[in-house]
Amino acid sequence: MLIVDDKKENLFSLKTLLQLNLYDVDTAMSGEEALKKILKNEYELIILDVQMPGMDGYEVAENITGYSKSKDIPIIFLSAVNIDKRFITKGYSSGGVDYITKPFDPELLLLKIKTFSKLYRQTKELNDIRSNLEQKVEERTAELIEANKELETSNAELQQYAFIASHDLQEPLRKIITFSQIVKERFVHTGEGAQYINRIISSSERMRSLINDLLSYSKLTVTPEFTNTSLNLIAQDTVTDLELSIKETGAKLVVGHLPSADIIPDQMRQVFQNIISNAIKFSKRGVPPEIKIWSDFTEEKSAETGPVEKGRYCRIYICDNGIGFSEQYLDKIFTMFQRLHGRSEYEGTGIGLSIVKKIIEKHNGLVTAKSAEGEGATFIIVLPLKQTAKPAPVLQ
Amino acid sequence: MSDYTRFFLVDDDIDDISVFKEVLKEVDPSIELVSAGDGQEALKFLKHLRDDYPDVIFLDLNMPRMGGKECLAEIKKDAALQHIPVIMYTTSSQSKDIEETMLKGAMCFITKPTNLKELKNILHSISRNVHSNLEKCLRTLSNTSNTFIVC
Repeated sequence: MLIVDDKKENLFSLKTLLQLNLYDVDTAMSGEEALKKILKNEYELIILDVQMPGMDGYEVAENITGYSKSKDIPIIFLSAVNIDKRFITKGYSSGGVDYITKPFDPELLLLKIKTFSKLYRQTKELNDIRSNLEQKVEERTAELIEANKELETSNAELQQYAFIASHDLQEPLRKIITFSQIVKERFVHTGEGAQYINRIISSSERMRSLINDLLSYSKLTVTPEFTNTSLNLIAQDTVTDLELSIKETGAKLVVGHLPSADIIPDQMRQVFQNIISNAIKFSKRGVPPEIKIWSDFTEEKSAETGPVEKGRYCRIYICDNGIGFSEQYLDKIFTMFQRLHGRSEYEGTGIGLSIVKKIIEKHNGLVTAKSAEGEGATFIIVLPLKQTAKPAPVLQ
Repeated sequence: MSDYTRFFLVDDDIDDISVFKEVLKEVDPSIELVSAGDGQEALKFLKHLRDDYPDVIFLDLNMPRMGGKECLAEIKKDAALQHIPVIMYTTSSQSKDIEETMLKGAMCFITKPTNLKELKNILHSISRNVHSNLEKCLRTLSNTSNTFIVC
Protein backbone atom coordinates (compact mmCIF):
# COMPACT_ATOMS: atom_id res chain seq x y z
CA MET A 1 0.00 0.00 0.00
CA LEU A 2 1.02 3.57 -0.48
CA ILE A 3 1.00 6.38 2.05
CA VAL A 4 1.15 9.92 0.71
CA ASP A 5 1.96 12.78 3.09
CA ASP A 6 4.20 15.81 2.82
CA LYS A 7 5.20 15.49 6.48
CA LYS A 8 7.94 13.01 7.27
CA GLU A 9 6.81 12.45 10.87
CA ASN A 10 3.28 11.57 9.77
CA LEU A 11 4.64 9.16 7.20
CA PHE A 12 6.91 7.57 9.72
CA SER A 13 4.29 6.95 12.39
CA LEU A 14 1.73 5.54 9.97
CA LYS A 15 4.32 3.41 8.19
CA THR A 16 5.50 1.97 11.48
CA LEU A 17 1.95 1.20 12.57
CA LEU A 18 1.21 -0.62 9.34
CA GLN A 19 4.50 -2.46 9.14
CA LEU A 20 3.97 -3.69 12.67
CA ASN A 21 0.76 -5.21 11.35
CA LEU A 22 2.71 -6.90 8.56
CA TYR A 23 1.65 -4.66 5.69
CA ASP A 24 3.99 -3.97 2.85
CA VAL A 25 4.26 -0.16 2.85
CA ASP A 26 5.57 2.37 0.36
CA THR A 27 5.59 6.14 0.86
CA ALA A 28 5.46 9.30 -1.21
CA MET A 29 6.13 12.89 -0.07
CA SER A 30 4.05 14.65 -2.72
CA GLY A 31 1.17 14.13 -5.12
CA GLU A 32 3.52 14.04 -8.10
CA GLU A 33 5.75 11.41 -6.53
CA ALA A 34 2.68 9.38 -5.60
CA LEU A 35 1.34 9.37 -9.16
CA LYS A 36 4.71 8.25 -10.56
CA LYS A 37 4.84 5.38 -8.09
CA ILE A 38 1.24 4.35 -8.82
CA LEU A 39 2.00 4.12 -12.50
CA LYS A 40 5.05 1.99 -11.83
CA ASN A 41 3.86 -0.29 -9.01
CA GLU A 42 0.82 -2.23 -7.91
CA TYR A 43 -0.94 -1.06 -4.73
CA GLU A 44 -3.93 -2.45 -2.92
CA LEU A 45 -4.73 0.71 -1.00
CA ILE A 46 -3.68 4.36 -0.94
CA ILE A 47 -3.79 6.54 2.17
CA LEU A 48 -3.79 10.12 1.04
CA ASP A 49 -3.19 13.33 2.96
CA VAL A 50 -5.48 16.13 1.79
CA GLN A 51 -3.33 19.18 2.29
CA MET A 52 -0.05 19.05 0.45
CA PRO A 53 2.00 21.70 -1.33
CA GLY A 54 1.68 21.52 -5.14
CA MET A 55 -0.92 18.92 -6.05
CA ASP A 56 -3.39 18.43 -3.19
CA GLY A 57 -5.02 15.16 -2.19
CA TYR A 58 -8.22 15.72 -4.23
CA GLU A 59 -6.27 16.29 -7.42
CA VAL A 60 -4.15 13.21 -6.80
CA ALA A 61 -7.32 11.15 -6.21
CA GLU A 62 -8.91 12.42 -9.39
CA ASN A 63 -5.80 11.50 -11.32
CA ILE A 64 -5.64 8.05 -9.79
CA THR A 65 -9.26 7.27 -10.63
CA GLY A 66 -8.65 8.59 -14.14
CA TYR A 67 -6.08 5.90 -14.99
CA SER A 68 -7.55 2.61 -16.00
CA LYS A 69 -4.72 0.83 -14.21
CA SER A 70 -5.42 2.42 -10.85
CA LYS A 71 -9.08 3.39 -11.00
CA ASP A 72 -10.19 0.61 -8.66
CA ILE A 73 -7.56 1.12 -5.97
CA PRO A 74 -9.36 2.26 -2.82
CA ILE A 75 -8.25 5.67 -1.52
CA ILE A 76 -8.59 6.66 2.13
CA PHE A 77 -8.25 10.39 2.83
CA LEU A 78 -6.54 11.38 6.04
CA SER A 79 -6.80 14.98 7.20
CA ALA A 80 -6.22 16.97 10.35
CA VAL A 81 -7.18 20.34 8.93
CA ASN A 82 -10.05 19.90 6.49
CA ILE A 83 -12.57 18.28 8.75
CA ASP A 84 -15.51 20.29 7.60
CA LYS A 85 -18.37 18.40 5.91
CA ARG A 86 -17.82 20.02 2.49
CA PHE A 87 -14.19 18.80 2.42
CA ILE A 88 -15.32 15.34 3.35
CA THR A 89 -17.91 15.42 0.55
CA LYS A 90 -15.27 16.61 -1.89
CA GLY A 91 -13.05 13.76 -0.79
CA TYR A 92 -15.69 11.19 -1.59
CA SER A 93 -16.60 12.79 -4.93
CA SER A 94 -12.98 12.94 -6.04
CA GLY A 95 -12.79 9.17 -5.72
CA GLY A 96 -12.15 8.34 -2.07
CA VAL A 97 -13.77 5.41 -0.32
CA ASP A 98 -13.35 6.88 3.15
CA TYR A 99 -12.40 10.13 4.82
CA ILE A 100 -10.70 9.88 8.20
CA THR A 101 -9.98 12.86 10.38
CA LYS A 102 -7.13 13.21 12.80
CA PRO A 103 -6.64 12.27 15.46
CA PHE A 104 -7.63 8.75 14.45
CA ASP A 105 -7.99 5.54 16.35
CA PRO A 106 -5.20 3.25 15.01
CA GLU A 107 -7.22 0.13 15.66
CA LEU A 108 -10.19 1.44 13.68
CA LEU A 109 -7.89 2.53 10.86
CA LEU A 110 -6.36 -0.91 10.68
CA LEU A 111 -9.79 -2.52 10.53
CA LYS A 112 -10.81 -0.19 7.71
CA ILE A 113 -7.59 -0.88 5.84
CA LYS A 114 -8.15 -4.57 6.23
CA THR A 115 -11.71 -4.33 4.91
CA PHE A 116 -10.87 -2.11 1.96
CA SER A 117 -7.86 -4.05 0.82
CA LYS A 118 -9.86 -7.25 1.05
CA LEU A 119 -12.61 -5.64 -1.01
CA TYR A 120 -10.08 -4.47 -3.55
CA ARG A 121 -8.55 -7.92 -3.90
CA GLN A 122 -11.95 -9.47 -4.41
CA THR A 123 -13.00 -6.85 -6.96
CA LYS A 124 -9.75 -7.33 -8.80
CA GLU A 125 -10.18 -11.07 -8.80
CA LEU A 126 -13.73 -10.71 -10.11
CA ASN A 127 -12.59 -8.34 -12.82
CA ASP A 128 -9.85 -10.71 -13.83
CA ILE A 129 -12.32 -13.58 -14.02
CA ARG A 130 -14.74 -11.45 -16.03
CA SER A 131 -12.22 -10.28 -18.58
CA ASN A 132 -10.87 -13.80 -18.77
CA LEU A 133 -14.36 -15.08 -19.39
CA GLU A 134 -15.08 -12.43 -21.97
CA GLN A 135 -11.91 -13.32 -23.76
CA LYS A 136 -12.77 -17.00 -23.61
CA VAL A 137 -16.28 -16.34 -24.92
CA GLU A 138 -14.81 -14.33 -27.77
CA GLU A 139 -12.33 -17.07 -28.56
CA ARG A 140 -14.98 -19.74 -28.44
CA THR A 141 -17.34 -17.70 -30.61
CA ALA A 142 -14.61 -17.22 -33.17
CA GLU A 143 -13.85 -20.93 -33.03
CA LEU A 144 -17.52 -21.76 -33.48
CA ILE A 145 -17.90 -19.43 -36.43
CA GLU A 146 -14.84 -20.99 -37.99
CA ALA A 147 -16.09 -24.53 -37.33
CA ASN A 148 -19.48 -23.62 -38.73
CA LYS A 149 -17.90 -22.28 -41.88
CA GLU A 150 -15.86 -25.44 -42.24
CA LEU A 151 -18.98 -27.52 -41.71
CA GLU A 152 -20.87 -25.63 -44.36
CA THR A 153 -18.04 -26.07 -46.81
CA SER A 154 -17.59 -29.74 -46.10
CA ASN A 155 -21.34 -30.22 -46.24
CA ALA A 156 -21.52 -28.61 -49.65
CA GLU A 157 -18.54 -30.67 -50.72
CA LEU A 158 -20.18 -33.82 -49.44
CA GLN A 159 -23.36 -33.14 -51.39
CA GLN A 160 -21.33 -32.46 -54.49
CA TYR A 161 -19.34 -35.58 -53.80
CA ALA A 162 -22.43 -37.74 -53.37
CA PHE A 163 -23.88 -36.34 -56.52
CA ILE A 164 -20.78 -36.85 -58.64
CA ALA A 165 -20.14 -40.27 -57.16
CA SER A 166 -23.66 -41.47 -57.89
CA HIS A 167 -23.60 -39.91 -61.30
CA ASP A 168 -20.26 -41.44 -62.25
CA LEU A 169 -21.31 -44.80 -60.90
CA GLN A 170 -24.14 -44.87 -63.40
CA GLU A 171 -21.79 -44.94 -66.39
CA PRO A 172 -20.00 -48.23 -65.80
CA LEU A 173 -23.16 -49.81 -64.50
CA ARG A 174 -25.06 -48.94 -67.63
CA LYS A 175 -22.35 -50.69 -69.62
CA ILE A 176 -22.46 -53.80 -67.46
CA ILE A 177 -26.17 -54.06 -68.11
CA THR A 178 -25.95 -53.25 -71.82
CA PHE A 179 -23.13 -55.65 -72.59
CA SER A 180 -24.66 -58.43 -70.49
CA GLN A 181 -27.80 -58.01 -72.57
CA ILE A 182 -25.79 -58.24 -75.78
CA VAL A 183 -24.02 -61.38 -74.59
CA LYS A 184 -27.34 -62.91 -73.58
CA GLU A 185 -29.11 -62.04 -76.83
CA ARG A 186 -26.35 -63.05 -79.19
CA PHE A 187 -24.46 -65.84 -77.54
CA VAL A 188 -26.28 -67.41 -74.61
CA HIS A 189 -29.92 -67.98 -75.22
CA THR A 190 -30.76 -70.70 -72.74
CA GLY A 191 -29.40 -72.83 -69.96
CA GLU A 192 -27.32 -72.09 -66.92
CA GLY A 193 -25.28 -69.42 -68.66
CA ALA A 194 -28.39 -67.40 -69.47
CA GLN A 195 -29.54 -67.68 -65.86
CA TYR A 196 -26.25 -66.34 -64.56
CA ILE A 197 -26.39 -63.47 -66.97
CA ASN A 198 -29.95 -62.71 -65.84
CA ARG A 199 -28.65 -62.53 -62.30
CA ILE A 200 -25.92 -60.12 -63.34
CA ILE A 201 -28.51 -57.96 -65.05
CA SER A 202 -31.02 -57.93 -62.21
CA SER A 203 -28.30 -57.18 -59.63
CA SER A 204 -27.05 -54.36 -61.76
CA GLU A 205 -30.58 -53.03 -62.17
CA ARG A 206 -30.99 -53.10 -58.41
CA MET A 207 -27.77 -51.18 -57.99
CA ARG A 208 -28.96 -48.68 -60.53
CA SER A 209 -32.16 -47.92 -58.63
CA LEU A 210 -30.09 -47.69 -55.44
CA ILE A 211 -27.88 -45.07 -57.06
CA ASN A 212 -30.91 -43.20 -58.36
CA ASP A 213 -32.43 -43.10 -54.88
CA LEU A 214 -29.17 -41.93 -53.35
CA LEU A 215 -29.03 -39.25 -55.97
CA SER A 216 -32.47 -37.96 -55.09
CA TYR A 217 -31.60 -38.11 -51.37
CA SER A 218 -28.53 -35.94 -51.90
CA LYS A 219 -30.60 -33.51 -53.97
CA LEU A 220 -32.87 -32.97 -50.96
CA THR A 221 -30.27 -30.78 -49.32
CA VAL A 222 -30.91 -28.00 -51.79
CA THR A 223 -33.47 -25.63 -50.29
CA PRO A 224 -36.41 -24.34 -52.31
CA GLU A 225 -39.25 -22.16 -50.93
CA PHE A 226 -42.48 -23.08 -49.16
CA THR A 227 -45.61 -22.29 -51.17
CA ASN A 228 -49.21 -22.62 -50.12
CA THR A 229 -50.45 -25.58 -52.14
CA SER A 230 -53.49 -27.82 -52.10
CA LEU A 231 -52.52 -31.25 -50.83
CA ASN A 232 -55.35 -32.70 -52.89
CA LEU A 233 -53.54 -31.45 -55.97
CA ILE A 234 -50.35 -33.17 -54.82
CA ALA A 235 -52.24 -36.40 -54.15
CA GLN A 236 -53.86 -36.19 -57.57
CA ASP A 237 -50.47 -35.71 -59.28
CA THR A 238 -49.13 -38.75 -57.48
CA VAL A 239 -52.07 -40.89 -58.52
CA THR A 240 -51.47 -39.85 -62.13
CA ASP A 241 -47.78 -40.70 -61.86
CA LEU A 242 -48.57 -44.11 -60.43
CA GLU A 243 -51.33 -44.83 -62.95
CA LEU A 244 -49.50 -47.74 -64.50
CA SER A 245 -48.88 -49.67 -61.30
CA ILE A 246 -52.37 -48.85 -60.04
CA LYS A 247 -53.80 -50.39 -63.19
CA GLU A 248 -51.49 -53.41 -63.06
CA THR A 249 -52.35 -54.27 -59.46
CA GLY A 250 -56.02 -53.32 -59.64
CA ALA A 251 -55.49 -50.96 -56.72
CA LYS A 252 -58.40 -48.88 -55.44
CA LEU A 253 -57.64 -45.36 -54.20
CA VAL A 254 -60.05 -43.16 -52.27
CA VAL A 255 -58.79 -39.64 -51.62
CA GLY A 256 -60.86 -37.48 -49.24
CA HIS A 257 -60.65 -33.74 -48.83
CA LEU A 258 -57.16 -32.54 -47.94
CA PRO A 259 -56.38 -28.94 -46.95
CA SER A 260 -53.85 -26.51 -48.41
CA ALA A 261 -50.58 -25.99 -46.53
CA ASP A 262 -47.22 -24.24 -46.89
CA ILE A 263 -45.16 -26.96 -48.53
CA ILE A 264 -42.41 -27.58 -51.04
CA PRO A 265 -44.59 -29.14 -53.78
CA ASP A 266 -41.93 -31.27 -55.49
CA GLN A 267 -40.81 -32.75 -52.21
CA MET A 268 -44.32 -33.37 -50.94
CA ARG A 269 -45.12 -35.14 -54.22
CA GLN A 270 -42.18 -37.42 -53.47
CA VAL A 271 -43.60 -38.11 -49.98
CA PHE A 272 -46.99 -39.15 -51.37
CA GLN A 273 -45.35 -41.12 -54.16
CA ASN A 274 -43.12 -43.08 -51.78
CA ILE A 275 -45.85 -43.89 -49.27
CA ILE A 276 -48.51 -44.76 -51.85
CA SER A 277 -46.17 -46.86 -53.96
CA ASN A 278 -45.16 -48.71 -50.77
CA ALA A 279 -48.84 -49.32 -50.05
CA ILE A 280 -49.20 -50.81 -53.53
CA LYS A 281 -45.96 -52.78 -53.30
CA PHE A 282 -46.58 -54.30 -49.87
CA SER A 283 -50.00 -55.72 -50.67
CA LYS A 284 -51.21 -59.14 -49.59
CA ARG A 285 -50.79 -61.79 -52.21
CA GLY A 286 -53.92 -62.03 -54.32
CA VAL A 287 -55.63 -59.10 -52.59
CA PRO A 288 -55.82 -55.91 -54.67
CA PRO A 289 -54.54 -52.92 -52.68
CA GLU A 290 -57.10 -50.54 -51.21
CA ILE A 291 -55.72 -47.19 -50.18
CA LYS A 292 -57.66 -44.50 -48.35
CA ILE A 293 -56.34 -40.99 -47.82
CA TRP A 294 -58.01 -38.46 -45.51
CA SER A 295 -57.09 -35.68 -43.12
CA ASP A 296 -58.04 -33.83 -39.93
CA PHE A 297 -56.72 -30.87 -37.92
CA THR A 298 -54.94 -30.71 -34.60
CA GLU A 299 -53.57 -27.99 -32.35
CA GLU A 300 -50.40 -29.88 -31.37
CA LYS A 301 -47.66 -31.41 -33.49
CA SER A 302 -48.74 -34.91 -32.55
CA ALA A 303 -50.24 -37.97 -34.13
CA GLU A 304 -52.06 -38.81 -30.89
CA THR A 305 -53.99 -35.66 -29.87
CA GLY A 306 -57.69 -35.47 -30.58
CA PRO A 307 -58.82 -33.78 -33.79
CA VAL A 308 -60.17 -30.22 -33.64
CA GLU A 309 -62.33 -28.15 -35.96
CA LYS A 310 -59.52 -25.79 -36.91
CA GLY A 311 -55.94 -26.24 -35.72
CA ARG A 312 -52.42 -25.17 -36.54
CA TYR A 313 -51.54 -28.59 -37.92
CA CYS A 314 -53.14 -30.87 -40.45
CA ARG A 315 -52.81 -34.62 -40.22
CA ILE A 316 -52.83 -36.71 -43.35
CA TYR A 317 -53.67 -40.40 -43.04
CA ILE A 318 -52.66 -42.86 -45.74
CA CYS A 319 -54.18 -46.21 -44.92
CA ASP A 320 -53.74 -49.49 -46.78
CA ASN A 321 -54.91 -53.11 -46.50
CA GLY A 322 -51.47 -54.59 -47.15
CA ILE A 323 -49.21 -56.89 -45.18
CA GLY A 324 -48.50 -54.29 -42.46
CA PHE A 325 -45.60 -54.57 -40.04
CA SER A 326 -45.03 -55.00 -36.36
CA GLU A 327 -44.79 -51.63 -34.62
CA GLN A 328 -41.59 -52.67 -32.89
CA TYR A 329 -39.94 -51.94 -36.24
CA LEU A 330 -41.45 -48.45 -36.45
CA ASP A 331 -38.09 -46.67 -36.03
CA LYS A 332 -36.39 -49.00 -38.46
CA ILE A 333 -38.66 -48.35 -41.40
CA PHE A 334 -37.69 -44.67 -41.47
CA THR A 335 -33.97 -45.42 -41.31
CA MET A 336 -31.90 -45.53 -44.44
CA PHE A 337 -31.24 -48.99 -45.93
CA GLN A 338 -33.45 -50.74 -43.37
CA ARG A 339 -35.63 -53.37 -44.93
CA LEU A 340 -38.08 -55.65 -43.18
CA HIS A 341 -38.35 -58.12 -46.03
CA GLY A 342 -36.00 -60.12 -48.19
CA ARG A 343 -35.25 -58.80 -51.62
CA SER A 344 -36.84 -61.78 -53.29
CA GLU A 345 -40.18 -61.02 -51.62
CA TYR A 346 -40.41 -57.27 -52.17
CA GLU A 347 -38.10 -55.18 -54.25
CA GLY A 348 -36.83 -51.78 -53.13
CA THR A 349 -33.73 -50.02 -51.95
CA GLY A 350 -34.71 -49.11 -48.40
CA ILE A 351 -34.28 -45.40 -48.99
CA GLY A 352 -37.86 -44.36 -49.77
CA LEU A 353 -39.16 -43.81 -46.25
CA SER A 354 -35.94 -42.16 -45.07
CA ILE A 355 -36.50 -39.61 -47.83
CA VAL A 356 -40.08 -39.17 -46.56
CA LYS A 357 -38.83 -38.57 -43.03
CA LYS A 358 -36.21 -36.08 -44.14
CA ILE A 359 -38.73 -34.11 -46.20
CA ILE A 360 -41.34 -34.01 -43.44
CA GLU A 361 -38.75 -32.88 -40.91
CA LYS A 362 -37.76 -30.12 -43.27
CA HIS A 363 -41.41 -29.08 -43.24
CA ASN A 364 -41.26 -28.92 -39.41
CA GLY A 365 -43.70 -31.81 -39.20
CA LEU A 366 -43.56 -35.43 -38.17
CA VAL A 367 -44.32 -38.77 -39.73
CA THR A 368 -45.22 -42.00 -38.03
CA ALA A 369 -47.26 -45.11 -38.71
CA LYS A 370 -49.71 -47.45 -37.04
CA SER A 371 -49.75 -51.07 -38.05
CA ALA A 372 -49.74 -54.68 -37.06
CA GLU A 373 -48.46 -57.63 -39.04
CA GLY A 374 -51.03 -58.69 -41.62
CA GLU A 375 -53.39 -55.86 -40.70
CA GLY A 376 -52.49 -53.13 -43.17
CA ALA A 377 -50.68 -49.91 -42.25
CA THR A 378 -51.69 -46.31 -41.70
CA PHE A 379 -49.05 -43.66 -42.23
CA ILE A 380 -49.73 -40.39 -40.43
CA ILE A 381 -48.12 -37.13 -41.52
CA VAL A 382 -48.46 -34.09 -39.27
CA LEU A 383 -47.77 -30.83 -41.08
CA PRO A 384 -47.98 -27.20 -39.93
CA LEU A 385 -50.46 -25.33 -42.14
CA LYS A 386 -48.32 -22.18 -42.01
CA GLN A 387 -44.53 -22.07 -42.13
CA THR A 388 -43.02 -19.13 -40.27
CA ALA A 389 -39.50 -19.32 -41.64
CA LYS A 390 -37.78 -20.32 -44.83
CA PRO A 391 -36.79 -23.97 -45.15
CA ALA A 392 -33.67 -24.59 -43.10
CA PRO A 393 -30.63 -25.75 -45.00
CA VAL A 394 -30.05 -29.29 -43.86
CA LEU A 395 -26.75 -29.99 -42.14
CA GLN A 396 -25.94 -33.62 -42.06
CA MET B 1 -29.60 -32.72 -99.83
CA SER B 2 -28.47 -36.27 -99.87
CA ASP B 3 -31.10 -38.93 -100.33
CA TYR B 4 -29.94 -41.19 -97.54
CA THR B 5 -30.27 -40.69 -93.80
CA ARG B 6 -27.25 -39.80 -91.76
CA PHE B 7 -26.97 -39.63 -87.96
CA PHE B 8 -24.11 -37.83 -86.26
CA LEU B 9 -23.12 -39.07 -82.79
CA VAL B 10 -20.80 -36.92 -80.66
CA ASP B 11 -19.56 -38.96 -77.70
CA ASP B 12 -16.17 -39.63 -76.12
CA ASP B 13 -17.21 -43.07 -74.92
CA ILE B 14 -16.22 -45.68 -77.50
CA ASP B 15 -18.35 -48.36 -75.84
CA ASP B 16 -21.44 -46.20 -76.15
CA ILE B 17 -20.59 -45.44 -79.77
CA SER B 18 -20.22 -49.12 -80.60
CA VAL B 19 -23.51 -50.07 -78.92
CA PHE B 20 -25.27 -47.19 -80.68
CA LYS B 21 -23.80 -48.30 -84.00
CA GLU B 22 -24.84 -51.93 -83.52
CA VAL B 23 -28.37 -51.09 -82.48
CA LEU B 24 -28.78 -48.63 -85.33
CA LYS B 25 -27.60 -51.27 -87.78
CA GLU B 26 -30.30 -53.61 -86.52
CA VAL B 27 -32.95 -50.88 -86.74
CA ASP B 28 -32.10 -49.66 -90.23
CA PRO B 29 -28.87 -50.75 -91.95
CA SER B 30 -29.23 -48.02 -94.57
CA ILE B 31 -28.66 -45.23 -92.04
CA GLU B 32 -25.11 -43.99 -92.01
CA LEU B 33 -23.58 -43.19 -88.64
CA VAL B 34 -20.76 -40.69 -88.32
CA SER B 35 -19.19 -40.07 -84.95
CA ALA B 36 -16.87 -37.59 -83.28
CA GLY B 37 -15.08 -37.90 -79.94
CA ASP B 38 -15.60 -34.38 -78.60
CA GLY B 39 -17.21 -31.02 -79.35
CA GLN B 40 -14.20 -29.60 -81.14
CA GLU B 41 -13.92 -32.55 -83.47
CA ALA B 42 -17.66 -32.37 -84.11
CA LEU B 43 -17.58 -28.69 -85.06
CA LYS B 44 -14.57 -29.22 -87.30
CA PHE B 45 -16.43 -31.96 -89.10
CA LEU B 46 -19.70 -30.01 -89.42
CA LYS B 47 -18.05 -26.83 -90.66
CA HIS B 48 -16.35 -28.71 -93.49
CA LEU B 49 -19.63 -29.94 -94.90
CA ARG B 50 -21.23 -28.10 -97.81
CA ASP B 51 -24.78 -29.38 -98.07
CA ASP B 52 -24.66 -32.98 -96.96
CA TYR B 53 -25.47 -32.19 -93.33
CA PRO B 54 -26.51 -35.00 -90.96
CA ASP B 55 -30.25 -35.33 -90.37
CA VAL B 56 -29.90 -35.37 -86.62
CA ILE B 57 -27.09 -34.84 -84.11
CA PHE B 58 -26.83 -36.86 -80.89
CA LEU B 59 -24.72 -34.89 -78.44
CA ASP B 60 -23.16 -36.12 -75.20
CA LEU B 61 -22.60 -33.65 -72.34
CA ASN B 62 -19.34 -34.51 -70.62
CA MET B 63 -16.53 -34.70 -73.13
CA PRO B 64 -12.89 -33.64 -73.11
CA ARG B 65 -11.78 -30.39 -74.80
CA MET B 66 -15.28 -29.17 -75.65
CA GLY B 67 -18.39 -30.43 -73.84
CA GLY B 68 -21.91 -30.79 -75.20
CA LYS B 69 -23.25 -27.48 -73.92
CA GLU B 70 -20.56 -25.42 -75.59
CA CYS B 71 -20.78 -27.44 -78.78
CA LEU B 72 -24.56 -27.01 -78.86
CA ALA B 73 -24.18 -23.23 -78.49
CA GLU B 74 -21.68 -23.16 -81.39
CA ILE B 75 -23.98 -25.19 -83.64
CA LYS B 76 -26.95 -22.92 -82.90
CA LYS B 77 -24.80 -19.85 -83.56
CA ASP B 78 -23.81 -21.05 -87.04
CA ALA B 79 -26.36 -20.08 -89.71
CA ALA B 80 -25.50 -23.11 -91.82
CA LEU B 81 -25.85 -25.60 -88.94
CA GLN B 82 -28.58 -24.26 -86.70
CA HIS B 83 -31.36 -26.05 -88.61
CA ILE B 84 -30.02 -29.49 -87.71
CA PRO B 85 -32.01 -31.03 -84.85
CA VAL B 86 -29.82 -31.71 -81.81
CA ILE B 87 -30.75 -34.44 -79.34
CA MET B 88 -28.83 -34.39 -76.07
CA TYR B 89 -27.78 -37.98 -75.37
CA THR B 90 -26.13 -38.33 -71.98
CA THR B 91 -25.94 -40.12 -68.63
CA SER B 92 -27.13 -37.04 -66.78
CA SER B 93 -30.73 -36.48 -65.77
CA GLN B 94 -29.99 -33.32 -63.83
CA SER B 95 -32.60 -30.61 -64.17
CA LYS B 96 -30.03 -27.86 -64.62
CA ASP B 97 -28.46 -29.72 -67.56
CA ILE B 98 -31.88 -30.23 -69.10
CA GLU B 99 -32.99 -26.63 -68.68
CA GLU B 100 -29.73 -25.22 -69.95
CA THR B 101 -29.57 -27.34 -73.09
CA MET B 102 -33.25 -26.91 -73.93
CA LEU B 103 -32.83 -23.15 -73.62
CA LYS B 104 -29.81 -23.28 -75.89
CA GLY B 105 -31.95 -24.91 -78.57
CA ALA B 106 -31.69 -28.66 -78.11
CA MET B 107 -34.78 -30.41 -79.46
CA CYS B 108 -34.83 -33.09 -76.84
CA PHE B 109 -32.93 -34.50 -73.87
CA ILE B 110 -32.52 -38.27 -73.65
CA THR B 111 -30.84 -40.04 -70.75
CA LYS B 112 -28.90 -42.96 -72.18
CA PRO B 113 -31.03 -46.05 -71.63
CA THR B 114 -29.56 -49.15 -70.02
CA ASN B 115 -31.92 -51.42 -71.80
CA LEU B 116 -31.04 -52.34 -75.38
CA LYS B 117 -34.68 -52.73 -76.32
CA GLU B 118 -35.31 -49.18 -75.16
CA LEU B 119 -32.49 -47.84 -77.28
CA LYS B 120 -33.72 -49.85 -80.23
CA ASN B 121 -37.19 -48.47 -79.74
CA ILE B 122 -35.92 -44.89 -79.57
CA LEU B 123 -33.70 -45.19 -82.64
CA HIS B 124 -36.50 -46.90 -84.51
CA SER B 125 -38.94 -44.05 -83.87
CA ILE B 126 -36.36 -41.41 -84.69
CA SER B 127 -35.25 -43.05 -87.95
CA ARG B 128 -38.86 -43.40 -89.09
CA ASN B 129 -39.70 -39.76 -88.43
CA VAL B 130 -36.45 -37.97 -89.08
CA HIS B 131 -37.71 -36.53 -92.37
CA SER B 132 -41.27 -35.79 -91.29
CA ASN B 133 -42.15 -34.63 -87.81
CA LEU B 134 -39.27 -35.50 -85.53
CA GLU B 135 -40.29 -33.19 -82.72
CA LYS B 136 -43.77 -34.66 -82.45
CA CYS B 137 -42.37 -38.18 -82.54
CA LEU B 138 -39.98 -37.39 -79.69
CA ARG B 139 -42.79 -35.92 -77.63
CA THR B 140 -44.84 -39.07 -78.07
CA LEU B 141 -41.79 -41.12 -77.22
CA SER B 142 -41.24 -39.16 -73.99
CA ASN B 143 -44.75 -40.10 -72.86
CA THR B 144 -44.60 -43.78 -73.67
CA SER B 145 -40.98 -44.77 -73.12
CA ASN B 146 -39.48 -45.90 -69.83
CA THR B 147 -36.38 -43.94 -70.71
CA PHE B 148 -36.00 -40.47 -69.31
CA ILE B 149 -36.83 -38.18 -72.24
CA VAL B 150 -37.62 -34.47 -72.02
CA CYS B 151 -38.83 -32.43 -74.99
